Amino acid sequence: MTTIEKDLVRQLVNGTIDPQDARGLLRMETKDTERFWTYLEVLQERVPWADRILLRISEHLYIVAKPDHGRVVKCDCGHEFGDYRANWKTAARLRVKETAAEFADVYYPAAAAPEPLWNEIREFYCPGCYAQLAVEVVPPGYPLIFEILPDLDRFYRDFLGRPLDDEAPDWYRDDTLKKTGTWL
Amino acid sequence: MSATPALETAPAAAVPDVEKSLRHKVYERERLTAQTGHYWGVETLSCKQADPMKFERFYSRLQSACMAAREVARFVAASPGGREMGEAVWALATAEGDSIALSEGFVAHSAAFPVAIKFMVDRGYEENPGFHDGDVYVADDGYSCGAPHPGDTYTYVPVVHDGEVVAWACAINHIMEVGAPQAGSWAMFCVDTYMDGFVCPPTRTGENLRQYAWWDEMWKRRTRAGMMNILDDKMRLAGAAMIARSVHEVIDEFGVEYFKLASREVIEESRRVVIDNIRNWMIPGTYEQVGFRVAKFKGLQKIWERADADNLIHMHMSTTIDERGRICNDMEGSSRWGYHAFNAFPGGVKVAFMLGLSGALAYNTKFSSGGNYAVTGNLPVGSIYNPGTQIASHSNAWAQMLQVTTMAYNALTRGQFMRGYMEESYAVSAPWDSVQGDGVLADGTPYGYTNFELLGACAHGAFSYRDGQPAVWFIASQLCNMGNSEEFEYLIPPLFHLGRKLQPGYCGHGKYRGGIGLTTVHWIVESGQRFGASRAGSACSFMTEVGQGMMGGYPSPGAAVAVAQGTNLPALIEQGITPTTFQELVDLVADGKLKADRLEIWKSDAPDHTLKDNDLWSQIAGTGGGWGDPLERDPHAVAVDANTNRVPAGFSERIYGVVLTFTDGQYTVDETATRAKRAALLAQRREESCPTATWWQRTRERVLARDFIGPVQEMYRSSTSFDNYKRHYRGFWHLPEDFEL
Repeated sequence: MTTIEKDLVRQLVNGTIDPQDARGLLRMETKDTERFWTYLEVLQERVPWADRILLRISEHLYIVAKPDHGRVVKCDCGHEFGDYRANWKTAARLRVKETAAEFADVYYPAAAAPEPLWNEIREFYCPGCYAQLAVEVVPPGYPLIFEILPDLDRFYRDFLGRPLDDEAPDWYRDDTLKKTGTWL
Repeated sequence: MSATPALETAPAAAVPDVEKSLRHKVYERERLTAQTGHYWGVETLSCKQADPMKFERFYSRLQSACMAAREVARFVAASPGGREMGEAVWALATAEGDSIALSEGFVAHSAAFPVAIKFMVDRGYEENPGFHDGDVYVADDGYSCGAPHPGDTYTYVPVVHDGEVVAWACAINHIMEVGAPQAGSWAMFCVDTYMDGFVCPPTRTGENLRQYAWWDEMWKRRTRAGMMNILDDKMRLAGAAMIARSVHEVIDEFGVEYFKLASREVIEESRRVVIDNIRNWMIPGTYEQVGFRVAKFKGLQKIWERADADNLIHMHMSTTIDERGRICNDMEGSSRWGYHAFNAFPGGVKVAFMLGLSGALAYNTKFSSGGNYAVTGNLPVGSIYNPGTQIASHSNAWAQMLQVTTMAYNALTRGQFMRGYMEESYAVSAPWDSVQGDGVLADGTPYGYTNFELLGACAHGAFSYRDGQPAVWFIASQLCNMGNSEEFEYLIPPLFHLGRKLQPGYCGHGKYRGGIGLTTVHWIVESGQRFGASRAGSACSFMTEVGQGMMGGYPSPGAAVAVAQGTNLPALIEQGITPTTFQELVDLVADGKLKADRLEIWKSDAPDHTLKDNDLWSQIAGTGGGWGDPLERDPHAVAVDANTNRVPAGFSERIYGVVLTFTDGQYTVDETATRAKRAALLAQRREESCPTATWWQRTRERVLARDFIGPVQEMYRSSTSFDNYKRHYRGFWHLPEDFEL
């Protein structure tokens, strides 16, 4: 089985990889199975905090294990969004664009911009560093999109063969509605 | 060795015993596959284990036959879409319709083959008229044969050995014109299937590898491009005949029992590889993805009252990996079917699931139907994906279903990002478009047409580590190709290219931006006695293509059309001025240089326009989505974009916060001003955003007040008529029990 050098993975993460090297990765007939662990090492070295990364779910966001056995979503700036089972967007800051003028700030030419009233553009920011973490272009009144609720226990046990210490049946559960219920 | 010459004998499949009947095979295949999880219950690859070289030689013979069929048949006879572009495929399928081997091309369409075979079995075709070696069947109906839309036309040739159907030689291509009230190959204004054009369920159209004479007459009488469609019909059959002949040779060499068993093993082997790929590349869990498609027909369908409405179609996909390791796409929450052309039937939806996934999941194994058994779905009855009625029009199911394809593919690339296979991760999108219509030449010759150029070569969305590139892929096929400009001009004489290039700034933006999209400008010349054009596409720019961007990037915009009628173009040409892009056309009109009696911008579906000499028809399509936060884009990449006119400099500052200075004909980055600008934009984010809880409380009040435009409100009514989505929607907003949407 081919092993990919850690530095190559680092270059991939940093966006500095040489196009020929990237092409070589794309042409692998069988992917290197150790990649996930190398990836975690590279990611862990990049963040300024020590919590163990269990999964990278976005450019800036990770599900990390907390010392008290919690699993939370954390930005690389250090801001924590709470338990990963509730959509992290519920703990973000949100700017909604609704007008054609606002749409024209992010779409060009004008004819390519989505139509107001039928759409709104939602930009989700980290409350810590204000990085733009996600964009939704949806009709007004649309529920937040839960991009990924991972089944971490199944992943680590069945897909990787290295079960997590704190396995429990309720880790794969969507708690988003419970969270919005607290806002009534 | 002697091939069974189908041209000389046509032994009927007499259904001599039940185990050799097609009905038995279809249902036994279903039972054993469901029961064991292995294709046909094949748990041991006995042929492969006994003699691996023989097994590989066997597969190679069949795959070569399919490739040879494509390479020869498309030069025997074909429309440009079939010959030059990737709009066709040839395949060898088992008796049950599962592909053993395929040529390059439209491979995902193999998912439709079993639908047609089962339909024929269930409707008694096996007894009446019976299947004979070298019979020719044609079908293009989504309800009965799984075609995504009637433009996708299938040819099936049964391979009968010793009275038993042992295989099908199959072919499919996208024809140029389907004979609907709206000319072209994706009629957009159909109300029900009776307006879908020339639609046929699996129909025996020939025997002994030769079409009946009446079949050619059907194409001539019922479509506007009879000659092109007959050429394509001959193309499909020529390749299928080659495959059928090769199968007889292979059976003579390897024996029929080996053929049947080894074929099942080929499929089972590739199924296992794809299942392993899913396990190795993805994260188990639930991926939610959404898309929207406008069906804006109010005022355009006045004589069809039930269709004269503006609708917003909701596509909702919940992707999981089931206990058998398969990708399962649950489409509950998607809209109900309606009186428009954008409905789909389950066979077509399976093709949509596989359109992107087939290549992405199965590139490292024998390409067969094995991958189709690794992807499944839930298509609620009554929904746009399973209408539960045969009257639903599906003339352009792709108008919304291409987003089904991109959503399914995006779940995979998101999984690959999380697993660390970032080289594979990108924002999948493919908003294609086309121009279609009909006309009458000056000499009185009528014709119909479709120009596929904005379909066959789309931009890549941004990757997780670099920008997307323009005009590099075709989601439906490995064969990316815009087609030859001169050939389209030859076949559609009034459409003369003034421009066929990239539209600056037209992409989804982000830390990495999508590939720049395409634009065409057609000058109408020598329009003959009449010339008509309309658009037919997937996502239109009223909504973005898919409802969510990737990792902070903006989703891909959709496509748009500009029509300028009654222009002074000849005077401009004398000044050396011609519009070469969509935006140049719009700007020239705004500047008053290009005078037009009427300029229309269509962000939704443009109906048929009668065009005269010196009118202009222009489009933008085929771009990609962005990846990541635009404020993290390398400022020097922004300068390169400005200097190469990929993204206008003025727009760059707004979205990327990069201040450029223009000296000596070059844009350079003002580092100090850029730092200040980006800090200001971050501060603006802080000031103009609010906690999600605040937004939720405000928006909930709007939901309770039903404070949305009609089509949005109606979309929610439609989606919440399905129980699970109703619970989801009401639960998210915590709506009172007695509240009615």
